[in-house]
Amino acid sequence: MKREHLERSGRGAIGGFPLSEGKMMGLEETAEAGMDELLAALGYKVRSSDMAEVAQKLEQLDMAMGSSTSQDDALLSQLASDTVHYNPSDLSNWLENMLSELNAPPIPFLPASHPIPIGSDFLTGNLSSSTEPASADYLNLHHRAVYGPESQVNGRPKTRKRLKPSPSTAFLSRAAAPATVSTPAATVAGEGSSVHSLVMVDTQEAGIRLVHALLACAEAIQEENYKAADAILKQITVLASSQGGAMRKVSGYFAEALARRVYRIHPHLDASLDSAFSDILEMHFYESCPYLKFAHFTANQAILEAFSGCSRVHVIDLGVKQGMQWPALMQALALRPGGPPSFRLTGIGQLQPDNPDALQQVGWKLAQLAGTINVDFEFRGFITNNLADFEGFMLESPSPGGSDEPEAVAINSIFELHGLLARPGALEKLLSSVRSLRPRIVTIVEQEANHNAGGLLERFTEALHYYSTMFDSLEGGGGLAGDGEGQQDQIMSEMFLGRQICNVVACEGADRTERHETLAHWRERMAGAGFQPVHLGSNAFKQASMLLALFAGGDGGGYRVEEKEGYLTLGWHTRPLIATSAWCVAGSVLSDQLTPADR
Amino acid sequence: MAGSNEVNVSESKVCSLFCCDSGVVVTFCTEIEISPEDDPAEELALILMKSGEVLLKPFDEYNFSSSQTVVPLNTWVLISNFKVTYNLLRRPDGSFDRHLAEFFDRKVPANASPVNGVVSFDIVLDRLSHLLARVYRPAPDLADGELPQKALLSELQKPPSPNPFPVIIFFHGGSFAHSSSNSSIYDSLCRRFVTLCGGAVVISINYRRSPEFRYPCAYDDGWTALKWASSEPWLRSGKDAKLRVFLAGDSSGGNIAHHVAVRAVESGIHISGNILVNPLFGGNRRTESELKLDGKYFVVLKERDWYWKAFLPEGADRDHPACNPFGPNGVKLDGLPFPRSLLVVASLDPTQEWQLAYADGLKNAGHEVRLIYREKATIGFYLLPNTNHHHEVMEEIKDFVKSNLIVSTNAAD
Repeated sequence: MKREHLERSGRGAIGGFPLSEGKMMGLEETAEAGMDELLAALGYKVRSSDMAEVAQKLEQLDMAMGSSTSQDDALLSQLASDTVHYNPSDLSNWLENMLSELNAPPIPFLPASHPIPIGSDFLTGNLSSSTEPASADYLNLHHRAVYGPESQVNGRPKTRKRLKPSPSTAFLSRAAAPATVSTPAATVAGEGSSVHSLVMVDTQEAGIRLVHALLACAEAIQEENYKAADAILKQITVLASSQGGAMRKVSGYFAEALARRVYRIHPHLDASLDSAFSDILEMHFYESCPYLKFAHFTANQAILEAFSGCSRVHVIDLGVKQGMQWPALMQALALRPGGPPSFRLTGIGQLQPDNPDALQQVGWKLAQLAGTINVDFEFRGFITNNLADFEGFMLESPSPGGSDEPEAVAINSIFELHGLLARPGALEKLLSSVRSLRPRIVTIVEQEANHNAGGLLERFTEALHYYSTMFDSLEGGGGLAGDGEGQQDQIMSEMFLGRQICNVVACEGADRTERHETLAHWRERMAGAGFQPVHLGSNAFKQASMLLALFAGGDGGGYRVEEKEGYLTLGWHTRPLIATSAWCVAGSVLSDQLTPADR
Repeated sequence: MAGSNEVNVSESKVCSLFCCDSGVVVTFCTEIEISPEDDPAEELALILMKSGEVLLKPFDEYNFSSSQTVVPLNTWVLISNFKVTYNLLRRPDGSFDRHLAEFFDRKVPANASPVNGVVSFDIVLDRLSHLLARVYRPAPDLADGELPQKALLSELQKPPSPNPFPVIIFFHGGSFAHSSSNSSIYDSLCRRFVTLCGGAVVISINYRRSPEFRYPCAYDDGWTALKWASSEPWLRSGKDAKLRVFLAGDSSGGNIAHHVAVRAVESGIHISGNILVNPLFGGNRRTESELKLDGKYFVVLKERDWYWKAFLPEGADRDHPACNPFGPNGVKLDGLPFPRSLLVVASLDPTQEWQLAYADGLKNAGHEVRLIYREKATIGFYLLPNTNHHHEVMEEIKDFVKSNLIVSTNAAD
């Protein structure tokens, strides 16, 4: 079974993940699929047998675009600004889509829109401002991305064409001659295929010694040499005190987690206290850096597009928390050409004994907002500490009757899935229940990290790199106000991340819920559970990039959005830190209407 | 092959593709001598028809471009894809769709785990401007039983060898506007350089790009990188503990390498050698090659003009010294300890005359240039290891680095 394979190969001191994440495909996979190896090494998936056809399409496209007449400038401009591109790695499909755009009935040419000035207050999903809709400009972001600029001018929505690859037409076929390959592609991962992506900021000797000491301590603990570990911990304290900024803070959290292991202090787990406090910390995290905003934004994009044309929609949020994601979606739905659908939200939350009505309050606030923007809205909350019981809730709450049109369902999971990996079978159970609902779209955001495999040292090393980069972005991200509020946001955000660090390092078994895995692994799990990818396109990419520019100023500072075969990641400098992906049920009728996934 | 004496058969090289009535594909792995005025594809078709072995459709029913006859098909696809996607990014008003550009660019993360004996990591050279570089180096040797994760970190910034080793500061191409140090095409190339040059440290600079950042930003970033390299003790080698640095680049990267070298020698920093592959130079005048080869082999003059306009200061023309270093506004390099240069020019590159003029300019100023003129090479041949152009040029680079690694710093050189 695939899962066993993943787990087995994940063990051992020297990383052994079957998927080479630095490259698009491993050598064996590439050869099996008949892909051209040289192009695959550069990130392009083209079957050798398709090479000639791809070449011909490129020629056609080049000829259609090339030329200096004003007509063609208009065409080019339209192609550039209106077309939504998907998965540039799949050249064949991309070319097919481009050629179809060229052959589509001419759309009245409109001058390229000036960038709409976007106010900064759209960034708050804060419900306290729910009496006023979020800045119209932010809604324009969503609106333009989904419906295209001209729909605002003409008032009619442009149907976005989602195209399937056409079968080879019967023209004279050109088979590709095999390219002369004298050396194997120089970039295929062979030895120890895990990818250690490092962004070094601190090249000072002391910084490196500190990291070395942290790793040595983790190694000692892994070997159960607690005496040595204790000695090293003392060194760490000294070394850390000479550091500044992000390095000092992050090493502090890691040292604390190591200490807990050495001195057998198990992190105090009071689920109820935990949950409320965690929500508060998360809200500060939301304010201080763009990761959560990006997660909500990109997931909402995919949901909006999937709900296109549906008059009854139902979103199931696997971890609704304070509901920060939903005002923006509701407002975008409200502005939909043709009017909003009726919107049902099922929010799953954790029990807070001190505040048993917490979940209902979230629902009530959202309902208030819905009232002010005239969206027919219903909220249902479910409280559980075990997402695997999902099926039970859904059976309890059948779709409201009395309507001919079936409900379109979206399932949304922001950092909720990895926790299920702590209990065998839990994820599979949840995914099975999700699938049985036949959702139009499932949106998943997860940390892009490998914190769930190998022994302690391996996990520790991965986490150290990951959270160092995270903390560095908090320090240098530029999104924080210099005032006290901004500082408080940063401190609370660091605590929020610190709790994750503690869990990753100091907990084991069912207690260790921060079991982050990379997109490559989630792809396998989702495929195994009967889902296929729905690609996120250049519109979502662009809007997310613009969001970052607003948040961090100028060109987004050190934040980077990247596209990777239909998925989007947000990272700091060159290190992706979170990944958004979207899915639908494999082989369903619906999947034909959505973006074709590459096989 | 048919016994026609118009055909010169050489070792199997580039494959060409033709269609015939029966739908069967015929591929030829042979090089055919064609005089420069002729359209190679048309010539070949005539030769084949004369030989009587193959019936071809009338020529104008085929739509293949001549560039498909001189590069392997997968190279053609790669470079054409860049051409076509780049068309979507340049706007007539001089602005650039940066978001879409980043969307299209295929990137790879750095990897401190060895791949073919090479590791890489990213480094922030300047926090405020987010200037990044990607460092490539041979995988460090591990002590027995040492776990790679722990060892790597402290070993990454130690010299890769007790013997002298080259440090190659690399500037990626992209006409000053495209690509990054983490673009997969350049990550691939830099990894090759590490092994090629016997265990070099390669530092790929993520310089600021136009049109958002015009001249001289890219040069400034190159200079920052060189100063950084000069201050890193682990990059020094040999008994005299010297930084043995080469400046290298393709396309705009080659241009940057030149200008950084000028600044270096004016400031007393010794550069062991310059490696310029299809460097980007130009001028106001239209050269014969530009006119003749315009649009024929991936390069379009109008596009070249756009990129210069986007890089050069507002109002400047192509005789600006950044673009035309030995032109009317050029800077004299006579008497400066300018490094030896390896210059690679492709015969199917429309801008070749500017590159040749650059070589002449260096020679006239008393500096050594090793000029490699590749017949029938197009731009981008170095991106895929599937032609003799690629392999032979790589060997030239290897030899150049080797022979300039240990040279006396006597100004009499």
